[in-house]
Amino acid sequence: MKKQLFWWGERALLVFVAVVALFPILWMFLTAFKQPLDAYRVSIFFTPTFNNFKAVFDEPWYLGRMVMNSVIVASVTVMISVPCASLAAYAFSRFRMRGRKFLFFLVLSTQFIPAVVIVLPFFLMFRQLGLLDTRLALIIVNLAIVTPFVIWMIKGFIDAIPVEAEEAAMVDGASRLRVIRDIVLPMAAPGILTSSIFCFILTWNEFLFALIITRREAVTLPVGLVNFRTERGDLWELMSAAGVMITVPIFIMAIIIQKHFTRGMTAGAVK
Amino acid sequence: MAEVRLENVVKRYGGFTALPKLDLHVNEGEFLVLLGPSGCGKTTTMRLIAGLEEITEGDLLIGGERVNDKEPKDRDIAMVFQNYGLYPHMSVADNIGYPLKLRGLGKSERMAQVRKVAEKVELGELLDRRPSELSGGQRQRVALARAIVRRPQLFLMDEPLSNLDAKLRVTMRAELKHMHHEMGITTVYVTHDQMEAMTLASRIVVMNKGRIVQLDTPERIYSEPADLFVADFIGSPSMNLIHGQIAGGTFTAEGISLPVSAPDRAKVVLGIRPEDLQISDASTAPIKAPIFALELTGESTLVTLRAGATQLCARGAADFRAKMDDTCGLAPRPGGRIHLFDPESGLRLPS
Ligand SMILES: Nc1ncnc2c1ncn2[C@@H]1O[C@H](COP(=O)(O)OP(=O)(O)O)[C@@H](O)[C@H]1O
Ligand SMILES: [Mg+2]
Repeated sequence: MKKQLFWWGERALLVFVAVVALFPILWMFLTAFKQPLDAYRVSIFFTPTFNNFKAVFDEPWYLGRMVMNSVIVASVTVMISVPCASLAAYAFSRFRMRGRKFLFFLVLSTQFIPAVVIVLPFFLMFRQLGLLDTRLALIIVNLAIVTPFVIWMIKGFIDAIPVEAEEAAMVDGASRLRVIRDIVLPMAAPGILTSSIFCFILTWNEFLFALIITRREAVTLPVGLVNFRTERGDLWELMSAAGVMITVPIFIMAIIIQKHFTRGMTAGAVK
Repeated sequence: MAEVRLENVVKRYGGFTALPKLDLHVNEGEFLVLLGPSGCGKTTTMRLIAGLEEITEGDLLIGGERVNDKEPKDRDIAMVFQNYGLYPHMSVADNIGYPLKLRGLGKSERMAQVRKVAEKVELGELLDRRPSELSGGQRQRVALARAIVRRPQLFLMDEPLSNLDAKLRVTMRAELKHMHHEMGITTVYVTHDQMEAMTLASRIVVMNKGRIVQLDTPERIYSEPADLFVADFIGSPSMNLIHGQIAGGTFTAEGISLPVSAPDRAKVVLGIRPEDLQISDASTAPIKAPIFALELTGESTLVTLRAGATQLCARGAADFRAKMDDTCGLAPRPGGRIHLFDPESGLRLPS
């Protein structure tokens, strides 16, 4: 009796939490397909339209440029960050050099600094360099934010690879770089892919720095959303359409990660 | 083919000294077996030779050349790891062929050699599998095949047969022995199985706590163990070791009174192997005690007597029959060896 009560209580709580968490997302998806007039109604019955998605790419919003900015900034950040982080992670995982623990702590400690605290120095620096409102500035900032995290993440994956396979390869006649290419990278691939997607998501969603550093040319999607708050009021249906476009790529990536997360690559290497 | 020399080699892991001072000379073309209990430093010695661990002090020479600072890849060694060290993301065929690939062999030539070796270790049907789809014994054979697919200067094998079932172990043992005879490549082989050591080795190194206790041929290790540790470790069932004293040419202990040709000693350990004892008439035998256990092994019967605090084991005929707790007599077999040891130092006493 008591057990059953607990069971129902548990379910009820889970459903409640799920509804609270998912409702805003559902609301956003619905609103993206609503006419401006329907936007403020809670009803889920309305005549859907694709006009919002067209409107955001037209004058005066020009969302296309922001999509380009976001895609370029996030992709270039991933392409630079992940290879560098992989090598760093390998070194942290395998080499017993002096001060290794301290160095690794130093890398992680960058993550403890609140972004608001360093956004002004970054702003001043980029102003000096004449890089304000450029994608390059955003890429530099995002590299600084994201790389320590990616190093930490990939290190976890490399730590899980048995050293024996690497040692065997070295005795078999492989150089260190060859070992990394033939043994470590293939085995760490799912982990590196997962880390890349995390890196992409973090950069894609980055808001604070993009808000401060960009004005017109290099504005990214999350910052672009703010434009839909006008003196005529908040344009919810347009903001939602843009929001859907920000969210969908992330959704797809999350699904890819899930598939790779569950696959055990290292099983069977050692007894 | 090459000789290997370890000169005053010390290995420390942080504050822990795994090898206090190792001097070892592996002759060209020999099959040297490192034998010792778990944790005595056998794997460490192998890893030093392979270049997977840095040598703390001392020199390592392979083929006369000092290789302390040489990368593993430049030492031309093939190694079988205790826990396989297979490449989990490669098929069995690619695992075996990897050393050849690193040496730039083409695919077809590689596959031909892989197939030949796979036949030898009975892996022919499994070439397309991943290591995770193999049993422990099969994985071990992949590791073995990967080592023997080419002709290195030196083989290092760390308990390569430990995970095989008893029957396959005997087959593979013979295969290894034959292979060594054929290829003649210097081999350092680690095991904690004294039977494997006895059958394979040209010479055996018995190790204990990071030190070499005895280095000799299997025959001499067996017939003249250097101390109590070796005497106890080699042989199955192990040597009977009896604490007692020698006075007037007779060794005495509870239930035992045995003539020996040695000077008087207040404290001594007498060792005699089960196969050097025979069952004899209880009224005249130098050893008399009740039967504690009888075990038929097939080709013989192991008779264990309880003489005071010590148990004595003897190998009797397969058709020997007696009742438990009956008093039984034992006597040294004519030509059987009696060993004497100092109980304090454990060292063998000259006889
Ligand atoms: N990487 C290591 N760090 C610290 N101690 C180690 C390490 N490797 C081995 N040892 C220690 O060295 C000793 C010898 O180990 P090992 O050579 O593996 O023994 P064996 O192979 O004879 O069983 C053991 O006491 C073991 O705990
Ligand atoms: Mg070992």
